[in-house]
Amino acid sequence: MVKSSLVRQALILVALAFVPGFVQAIFFWDKVSWRSPVPASEMVTVTQARAWGENTIWVDARPDNEFARDHVPGALPLNEDRWSELLPQFLAAWSPEKKVVVYCSSEGCNASREVAHRLHKEAQLANVFVLEGGWEEWLKEKR
Amino acid sequence: MKTHIFAFTLSIVLCLTARAGLKWDQTAIELHPTVTDKQAIGHFKYENTGDKPVKFKSVKTSCGCTAAQTQKEEVPAGEKGEITATFNIGERTGTQVKTVTVETDDPANVTTVLTLKAVIPQQLEITPTFVFWGQGEAPKPKTIVVRAAKDFPVKHLKVTSSSPDFRAKVEETGNGQFKIDVQPQETNRLIASTLTIQPEDSQKIFYATARITNARAVQ
Repeated sequence: MVKSSLVRQALILVALAFVPGFVQAIFFWDKVSWRSPVPASEMVTVTQARAWGENTIWVDARPDNEFARDHVPGALPLNEDRWSELLPQFLAAWSPEKKVVVYCSSEGCNASREVAHRLHKEAQLANVFVLEGGWEEWLKEKR
Repeated sequence: MKTHIFAFTLSIVLCLTARAGLKWDQTAIELHPTVTDKQAIGHFKYENTGDKPVKFKSVKTSCGCTAAQTQKEEVPAGEKGEITATFNIGERTGTQVKTVTVETDDPANVTTVLTLKAVIPQQLEITPTFVFWGQGEAPKPKTIVVRAAKDFPVKHLKVTSSSPDFRAKVEETGNGQFKIDVQPQETNRLIASTLTIQPEDSQKIFYATARITNARAVQ
């Protein structure tokens, strides 16, 4: 009897803990998250992107100092600190049949999503993908 | 029995509240920088309302474009202070949300996420910023549409092509909108041009690119 009462009360407390989560999901579903949403079809793994071979343009969305330290071989820098200066260099290398893979530092960064979004929306390019796990994942796969 | 369990839960909650360390004035700030601002700075103020000093273990930002500074490493009981988050706008546009994750040695509040939202005004919306033709394609004009934001009325637009191989013709279509027709002289050579777009009475310059690619153009 006591045991079932305890379980019931524990369940009530757990259910109460979910209330704020549900309220947020219902009333604030359209609020901007700190990460820009990218459809799953526009995310790509290191293995997939590597399989595209020469048909890929790697785009490094990290700050200049991180790009200068190291980057995916052949990658072009394109960050939002120097967007209008770097964009023409990227566009000079681009052609319609190529796939563009944008990466930033790690799983938690947002710069690759922002850059991919601008290439889609502003330059209206197709075949732009975001690398899952970013530079960190690329380093892991390289080993 | 019920009463005992609820009393126990309540006492834990009250204990945690009573010895709470850092109390933040606000954990989310929205900023509205002007067109000319290079940075957006948020001040997250706090007070140590507990009875013990609180140490900052780490302060991390979600983006290389944001820097966060604490005034001190340790906050004595009763003292106030702030964490300054500086977001370098660069050439970012629209709504930007950056976070600062603060870790302290206060067991009641180990991690606090501070959110800095910056709404960056966009004077001109240019779509698309890139037009291209495939090699050998008919050199027909392609259109770039420019829309001025409500708060930044634009009467005239000056457009210059960096290369004589491309011609750009501007036409006002009303309601703060303009149409730029870009046309290459020919499409047999792999040529490119940077189009400089500048509203009258504005120092700010916008860019678009026109190019002949070595592949068939996607229509």
